[in-house]
Amino acid sequence: MEAEVKEKIVSIEKPHVEAPPDWQPVIMGILCNWCSYAGSDLTGTSRLQYPPNIRIIRVPCSSRVDPWFIIKSLQTSADGVLISGCHPGDCHYISGNYYARRRFLVTKRLLNFVGFHEDRIQFSWVSAAEGPKFAKVVTKVTEDIKKLGPLHLYKKENISQT
Amino acid sequence: MNYTKQIQDIAGRLFSEEKIDVFIGYRNTGFDENQVPVLINQYKDVDQLLFTDKSVFNLANYLKYEHTRNKRVGLVVKGCDSRALNLMLTENQVKREKLFIVGIACEGVVDETGGKAQNCVECVMPDAVVFDEMLGTPSGKRDYQENSDIRALDGKSLTGRQEYFEEVFENCIRCNACRHSCPLCYCSNCCIDQETATLYHGANTTSSAFHALMTWSLHLAGRCVDCRNCEKACPSHLPLHLLHKQNEKVIYENFQEHLAGMIQDDRGAFYKYSLSDPDDFIM
Amino acid sequence: MARVGVFVCFCGANIADFVDVPAVVEEAKKIKEVKYAIDYKYMCSDPGQGMIRDAIVAHRLTSIVVAACSPRMHEKTFRKALSDAGMNPYLLEVANIREHSSWVHQKDKKAATEKSSDLIRMAVAKSMANEQLHEISVPVTKRALVIGGGIAGIQAALDIADARIPVVLVEKSPSIGGKMAQLDETFPTLDCSQCILTPKMVDVASHPYIELLPYSEVLELDGYVGNYKVKIKRKASYVNFDTCTGCGACWQKCPVKVPNEFNMGIDKRKAIYSPFPQAVPNKPVIDAEHCTMLIKGKCGICAKVCEKGSIDYTMQDEIIEREIGAVVVATGYDLWDPKPYEEYGVGRYKDIITSLEFERMVSASGPTGGVPVRPSDGKIPKSVVFIKCVGSRDEAKGIEYCSKICCMYTAKHAMLLHHKVHDSHAYIFYMDIRAAGKGYEEFVKRAQVETAATYLRGRVSKIYKKGDKLMVRGEDAQIGQVVEVEADLVVLATAVYPYKDNSDLARLLGISYDKYGFLSEAHPKLRPVETAKAGIFLAGCTQAPKDIPETVAQASATAAKVCGLFAGDTMLKDPMVSTVNTDYCTGCQNCVTVCPYQAIITEEIPLGHGSKEIRTVAKINEGVCQGCGSCVAICRSMAIDLAGFTDMQIINEIVSI
Repeated sequence: MEAEVKEKIVSIEKPHVEAPPDWQPVIMGILCNWCSYAGSDLTGTSRLQYPPNIRIIRVPCSSRVDPWFIIKSLQTSADGVLISGCHPGDCHYISGNYYARRRFLVTKRLLNFVGFHEDRIQFSWVSAAEGPKFAKVVTKVTEDIKKLGPLHLYKKENISQT
Repeated sequence: MNYTKQIQDIAGRLFSEEKIDVFIGYRNTGFDENQVPVLINQYKDVDQLLFTDKSVFNLANYLKYEHTRNKRVGLVVKGCDSRALNLMLTENQVKREKLFIVGIACEGVVDETGGKAQNCVECVMPDAVVFDEMLGTPSGKRDYQENSDIRALDGKSLTGRQEYFEEVFENCIRCNACRHSCPLCYCSNCCIDQETATLYHGANTTSSAFHALMTWSLHLAGRCVDCRNCEKACPSHLPLHLLHKQNEKVIYENFQEHLAGMIQDDRGAFYKYSLSDPDDFIM
Repeated sequence: MARVGVFVCFCGANIADFVDVPAVVEEAKKIKEVKYAIDYKYMCSDPGQGMIRDAIVAHRLTSIVVAACSPRMHEKTFRKALSDAGMNPYLLEVANIREHSSWVHQKDKKAATEKSSDLIRMAVAKSMANEQLHEISVPVTKRALVIGGGIAGIQAALDIADARIPVVLVEKSPSIGGKMAQLDETFPTLDCSQCILTPKMVDVASHPYIELLPYSEVLELDGYVGNYKVKIKRKASYVNFDTCTGCGACWQKCPVKVPNEFNMGIDKRKAIYSPFPQAVPNKPVIDAEHCTMLIKGKCGICAKVCEKGSIDYTMQDEIIEREIGAVVVATGYDLWDPKPYEEYGVGRYKDIITSLEFERMVSASGPTGGVPVRPSDGKIPKSVVFIKCVGSRDEAKGIEYCSKICCMYTAKHAMLLHHKVHDSHAYIFYMDIRAAGKGYEEFVKRAQVETAATYLRGRVSKIYKKGDKLMVRGEDAQIGQVVEVEADLVVLATAVYPYKDNSDLARLLGISYDKYGFLSEAHPKLRPVETAKAGIFLAGCTQAPKDIPETVAQASATAAKVCGLFAGDTMLKDPMVSTVNTDYCTGCQNCVTVCPYQAIITEEIPLGHGSKEIRTVAKINEGVCQGCGSCVAICRSMAIDLAGFTDMQIINEIVSI
């Protein structure tokens, strides 16, 4: 059997370094407890499979997400960020996701403006019943980030864990 | 544009009638015709005051500080300055009854080249939106126009923009002059100084500047009035207006809100929502 | 100095088959602050919990990480294990290595193992910033709101009221009773539906603990469990219920005729009407959309004939406010409109009716004197075709579920047809016969034997007119042939479907609903009567199609939940609420604006130590705060933090991997 010619993955932002051959992206996922986290649990209960690159942080509501969660994730180990909440109108806390989606749009556009590819930061509305959707969303985001290569932009130097 | 005499008269009257404790205005320095802010607290100093097209600085900034807290203050504000003042009033940072506001129907100030400043060319509201007395003939609200630098940067590639801003973040020395000079940056404990969000990022590094400037501009999103105090104060001459104008553009194009500080009691865009806000960028 | 204990669960084979659990334990031991790490087959079991309790004491642990199933499953269980060991229960973090790792990465054990180690790292890092939290005591208003006066709402209201808890029962139409009042007989006993229902309806009306608000709708619900405030609109009936005797003189004389909703439009009612003779309350209301007096200012006959002078054309809608502690939503179901089945000629042919229309026809008190008739010519049908699964189980028409009750009521309809029209014959097109309840299979057998109904297994593809008959073309799959049945009347068993405005009500209440509009239960297996919002419960078909015994059981279950909630004078509330650090607060009050529960007010505090000057800062009412964190993210100064999801906990999670 011929060896597969693997497409080289090169970081889309500068420095355009080639990813090591066994590179796997890290996706930081921030999910709201009542809809998206529950939906992601349903994905698990239904035994639907998705790539293992995502690391999930639970928050009570998408409105808890401060832009610094996104900025700090990108500056530490994450190559991409996925934030997921309840569909508009269905927020467990009534209006949280309405405020959140304004912040999300401006933050995403600002980061793209200063040089991050827009696919580095992605958002979704996943309800507690949408197990299959969550799997699709994670798969898409992981594939998008894989194509973009490792992120080297503005990484924090010398992280020390206290 | 010259309201020197009128301002001196007003300030003089306010002091002689004992209506204010301090008046914030502009005075000349010994160098060129650069003007600097001045806080006058007695009648005899009133003749230092002047107002021309070189009266650039947003004086609302001084309402943040000890010198004016709980005092009765008179001050001069142009269109943009007064919008910042409107927001400070909405956000309970200053009491309206303690202020005597001299509003200017501004014709624009000049920049270091002597030509009209960019933010004045693109100004949406030259007339003071809150005032006790108005000097000049109001010319009314103007249409929003996209900042010309933003348009130019949008035309660049992702890599082009990345390179441009890498240099900006590299040259930031984290002096915090931008924060200090912005009227709407009044938090006594700035989030950027706190360990939690910064990860010990007080240091003068590119990545720490990136975090600081991103966070700062997002906290001003929907609140920045484009007075350019921050740019004037920045010792590295960073084009800080780019970040603010970018946010303003996204907000203007996507949310049906008034621009920052135009309307009384109107909070910034992030403190409100509409059921019809776009979310096609969300899967 | 942090001393974290890590407990990794095999969960039988659920985790162990796809994650190298011993390796995960070894990896956890490498974390500096982890002083104890161990694995076990079933961490949630008694011995498993015992291990945690013992380790806390033996190793002087300061926080605990359990790596197992989702925190949504067993966080409570493990918190209890901590309290039993004398440790604050909120010093626990759960790493979800089952739903988020072993179950979803079954093809890559190495990756699943690495991910599980990362998730544990995150949980360990978060737990080091956990603080000791104590539940908050809040008062409880011991009054329940029941929305919907069908059998579900009636049963729930009676059970709660019998426990001496006041109930406010809100019903949209002029009378309680719901669908059950429209039924003739109920399966499997063929009990007269109204005969078994009306005693309960009368109980509701006369119960000292039930406040019945008919002709009313819920407008707003504010607050949180134990402390809700509801705003109800009581529509103007234009009849003074205190003086009205229900004599009926008014509706006898009313000249306006309107299609009668109770009889599915088969006959007409008046503009002033009582929906059915056994209505509770038995007082008429005026339908403002059709009353000549209210629209044009002319007529007024009902007022003239009313001996008690009970008619009041000037009545206004009334807004009623009540403080309540819990809500039971029992808004029932609608029947799906079979219009998309154009191939059946729905809407084109008069003699195609729905099952509820048939039910009204065979009802003794119904519009056709208890006998089914053809709508086209009023003749009594001899050949009746019943089609089951109209809409239900039909992905092409957008409904995937089974409506559960149609197999049983169609068998019942075959029986009723046989009783009413002795020489009739029923043909039933079916896909399956679902008769799973107690006595159900026996009932269907009985129907088949007694009525000799022809059960045809197959779907109907087309109905067309031939003369004055309808030809029903379908498949008889058991003989593998297309058959055509000549029918005088066709009855469609249309899908049980939520009311159009059910999802609007859900949004008003702040609860979830599925893609059809059925309201969502907290857990489909173990929490079928609760919603995700504490204090709001579900009963009946508003949650999913079900028959009367299940509805009554579910309604009684909600009553048990409500009584449990009201068992004490106060209740303990989740301590994961936000608090303001007044040193950092600038008093801008943006947080006040965004809080969905109006939990934030302002207070004045001294400017500094011993200062006479004051400044305004924000203050959060911990009893009202629901812990969403909207205020935390909106606060520019980071002056607000949310217990359980603090900035420190989150940044720890982010940097740990």
